[in-house]
Amino acid sequence: MEEEKSIQLAREGDPGALRALYDGHRQRVLSLAYRYLRNRADAEDVLQETFIKAYHSLSRYNPDKGLNFSCWLNKICINASIDALRRNRVKGMPVTAVGDVADMPDPSNSSDPERTARNREIRERIDSALNDLSPKQRMIFTLRHYQEYSIREIAEHMESTEGSIKKHLFRAVETLKKRLKRFVMEDGYEV
Amino acid sequence: MKCDTAKGLIILDLYGELGDAEKAGLHDHIQRCRACSEELALTKKVFSLLDDNRPAEAPAADWEKAWRGIQGGLSRPPSNRRFFGLPGRRWVFAGSVLTLVLIAGILIGKYGLAPSSPPAAIAARTTPDSSSSPNGIRPAFAAHLDDLKPILVDYAHFEPGEKAGQRIAVDENVLRGLILQNLLLKRKLAEKDPAAADLLDDIDVVLREITNQGAQDAQSPAQIRDLIERRDILFKLEILKKI
Repeated sequence: MEEEKSIQLAREGDPGALRALYDGHRQRVLSLAYRYLRNRADAEDVLQETFIKAYHSLSRYNPDKGLNFSCWLNKICINASIDALRRNRVKGMPVTAVGDVADMPDPSNSSDPERTARNREIRERIDSALNDLSPKQRMIFTLRHYQEYSIREIAEHMESTEGSIKKHLFRAVETLKKRLKRFVMEDGYEV
Repeated sequence: MKCDTAKGLIILDLYGELGDAEKAGLHDHIQRCRACSEELALTKKVFSLLDDNRPAEAPAADWEKAWRGIQGGLSRPPSNRRFFGLPGRRWVFAGSVLTLVLIAGILIGKYGLAPSSPPAAIAARTTPDSSSSPNGIRPAFAAHLDDLKPILVDYAHFEPGEKAGQRIAVDENVLRGLILQNLLLKRKLAEKDPAAADLLDDIDVVLREITNQGAQDAQSPAQIRDLIERRDILFKLEILKKI
């Protein structure tokens, strides 16, 4: 209810209302852009671009069409990320920057140095496997696996068909399985 | 149910995307098929590993700085550059480019490549002065390498011994398009960037071997993997993409 009110006020040009929407959605939008672009600076640019585009398009936002505000923002964010990737390609810049992720601290906060090193190695391996996916596969896998959107929702966000999304998801998971299989076996990983 | 179908459904099942009938059919198959049962166990383990080691969230941003950027952007008039964003026009554009590439391919095949006239496909992806500068063709070259990378990575990580005669599925039309694109770029870069042309030459061999999959004299996926390794194709691809 409060969000609907903020949307209405932002439509009328109230900067405070837009700020409230920004505060409520900024982390999720940044995470989505970062997972796709794998680069902090580009993800921050996309964050800004998403909210600027959303502000200018608010008059066209219609929740009755079945997209809630969060999904609608995601859609803008995905398009902005695709544009950013395309711009980087044209400039001949590398598409990914692995260093940002590899330098992150261990989220498990384990006090065992051996365990910490192992966790780091696992995350680096996963990161490298994710890097091997095409940007589209990575986006689809991220939306389905980490952000838990349904295939139908992803198809809507990416203006694609469910069949095409399933194919990309299948290829993404198969690539990850190939890259992580040996590692799962070595670690005797249990479900 | 065939194992290939089951393999796809296993992933959808784990994501809760299957209807009751498909789910029942899959579980019935898995109970009777050891290979698919192992496939399910492996997929579950990999999912579990991914869930326990989620990749890093976006690092904390300077929210106030980003907000100031947004405020600055609000005063700018909205951009109407939505050509690529509109699905209908995007496909019309893609179709036109594909048609141009095909026509260029047919003409090259029939008459050979005239050195003074760059092919339409290359010209469309480069700046007007690209014929005189190797840098002008770079974006097209980098985009081509990006298109190739997922297929090459699939082969580079192929693990033999799981199933005899196992193949990696690649769409034939995509392969044909890549071979043609590869040929055009190779000719364009031959004189100005021999290292890039050499890489495209190696890639051409690999693509033709992949196209040949299923023929009697075909190389196995493991042999193609060795070929990629021997010629350091993925390494060269990463290096040349960044130059």
